[in-house]
Amino acid sequence: MEEATRRIARRGAYALPRLSFSRVDPAWTRRAPSELLARLPAIEAYELDHADCLLVIEAPENTRAGSEVPGERLTLRRSAQRPHVEPFFSGEKPWLGCQFPTHALAQDAGMSLAAFNELLYGAVLVDWDSLAKRMRRIADRFDAGDEVRIVAEGTDLRFSLAGRHGQVDALGANMPGGEVFYSPVEDSAEGVITFAEYPACYDGRAVEGVRLRFQGGRVVEASSRTDEDFLHATLDADEGARVLGEFGIGCNPGIQRHLKNTLFDEKIEGTVHLALGNGFPFLGGTNVSAVHWDMVKDLRRGGRIELDGQVVQDGGTWLI
Amino acid sequence: MAHLAADPRVEQYARLLVERCLDVQPNWQVLVRSTPLARPLVEAVQGAIAERGAYAVVRLNWSLWPTDLVWAAEAPLDLVGELPAIDRAACELMDARITIEAPENTRQGSDLDPERRALVRRRERVFFRRTMAMEIPWVSCQFPTQALAQEAGLTLPQLEEILYAACLRDWDAERERLLRYLQLFDAAEEVRIVGPGTDLRLSLSGRRGEVDDGRTNMPGGEIFYAPVEDSAEGTIVFGECPAVYDGHELQGVRLRFRAGQVVEASAATGEQALLAALERDPGARRLGELGIGLNPGVARPMRNVLFDEKMEGSIHLALGQSYSFLGGTNVSAIHWDLVKDLRQGGRLVLDGRIVQAEGRWLL
Repeated sequence: MEEATRRIARRGAYALPRLSFSRVDPAWTRRAPSELLARLPAIEAYELDHADCLLVIEAPENTRAGSEVPGERLTLRRSAQRPHVEPFFSGEKPWLGCQFPTHALAQDAGMSLAAFNELLYGAVLVDWDSLAKRMRRIADRFDAGDEVRIVAEGTDLRFSLAGRHGQVDALGANMPGGEVFYSPVEDSAEGVITFAEYPACYDGRAVEGVRLRFQGGRVVEASSRTDEDFLHATLDADEGARVLGEFGIGCNPGIQRHLKNTLFDEKIEGTVHLALGNGFPFLGGTNVSAVHWDMVKDLRRGGRIELDGQVVQDGGTWLI
Repeated sequence: MAHLAADPRVEQYARLLVERCLDVQPNWQVLVRSTPLARPLVEAVQGAIAERGAYAVVRLNWSLWPTDLVWAAEAPLDLVGELPAIDRAACELMDARITIEAPENTRQGSDLDPERRALVRRRERVFFRRTMAMEIPWVSCQFPTQALAQEAGLTLPQLEEILYAACLRDWDAERERLLRYLQLFDAAEEVRIVGPGTDLRLSLSGRRGEVDDGRTNMPGGEIFYAPVEDSAEGTIVFGECPAVYDGHELQGVRLRFRAGQVVEASAATGEQALLAALERDPGARRLGELGIGLNPGVARPMRNVLFDEKMEGSIHLALGQSYSFLGGTNVSAIHWDLVKDLRQGGRLVLDGRIVQAEGRWLL
């Protein structure tokens, strides 16, 4: 944080550092009246509206901090923030989300801090220009395609990218980057997907064995081995929470294993991820929701991606 | 930052700040500025603000908002001298503010060069303006840290005892007591401060004072005035407690006043910092405040102005900016409190009558 602050100073710009003990400020959020949760204070609204760019550095002491706050309270807060953070997420203003290595992140990944350090810098300090070129080729292929089908054990899901173009995340909104992502056609998802390999992590929870059945683009059946109440509550957060906002393809060769850490996991080469909830208007997405829950599926053991009937990736290996 | 067992005093402290000092009302935006070591108190304050149905706008950083010292050391000077629009808006929009000092090192910032330091002070005027004019409720306080304990020559548990004894008081009863002294000084014209090497007169004519009964400062426990700007005559030596200015420690500050202005200044150590402070602007040579310490919970100086100036048996004078709501007209970028302990050979004389000797009231 200090190094970033120093470099901002040297660029002749204002740094406005804001620390917080956790992402959701449970001490206030748990006890504040809900009408206040639903509306940002003017100071914070002004701040987000007038910030030229946003840098988020996560460095948790405990990745479960804030998980005691009821989901509906978090949803209220997120809805209040949404219009003010939208210009960042829609690409109007630059933003970047990244992490600084901590014991909590290492622990979730099942690693020592030293090993996690190696992994993080290995994923972050890569040749972004050459990776961007590789991802561009994948994006061109999917841009030209219409129907995506994801097949694996317990999984056969189709959705459409017709008329949509993708985005390559090389030096964009995430560090590490390394994904190609789309907003699928909202009413197109049909079939079943099981996130059997990894837990689906959101709001401090790690939900195991999520299985979703889609019909006409909406989740019509949802189950999980753990935290099923949380899964259902999140799906019921608002109208858009049952619709896909994102389809992403992990392309970062520096990330080989799951870390219970979405920022990294969704970039694992050989995985795809689907997000329930808010879509990306700059990619043609029209779904609106306070939720954006990325769920990562590993295709490296027996999974495949088909594009308009042709297998383009098999067992995590590209055939294009 | 491990807190093994919750200290019930932290919760009481938070309620005191939110409910008494600020009396937070529904829908207010309460700006809470602090640093990470204050975490237990910041969280308790957030909870107490939530229960009052108000917003806690927490401004937490390694140094106190609105200035980041790492940034201020390297940013272009024109940016250092002016708050960004986002922070100016926060200054205008806040309905109340709490400042919780919880330093890791009381000397942080002492290596910032004087030019940049002056610019930082200029940018922060926007932030202090509304509170100095009492437009909004505010309170400054501290959370006990090892650095504050070390500065006071104490262990952390010892500092905690003193801090909570000074803060967690029956402030309604303290108010009654403070008002009695206030009446005495309100009725007086001339204050004379006498001690070894010290004989200073100043006028409170036409000025009324204010009690700090645990509102704008925690601990409170003082009465304070804006002395008549051209009245100070004589000499004062601050020989008992060191003065701290911009992270520099000054011993034995001696000031001679004529017609309200410092005309001679010296210090046993840190004299350069003293002279630099006086050169800041024309108002820096005049008195902005006379305060009388009346908190029985603060029994000894701790190299900590917030506490030392409340010490019963001490007075303090501030060079620089005065309180306009007390009739003060002096304007300056500085407001530097210097504390004098009168318990060894000092006395206070009001209109020729000794009212305090050796720190004990003779009323």
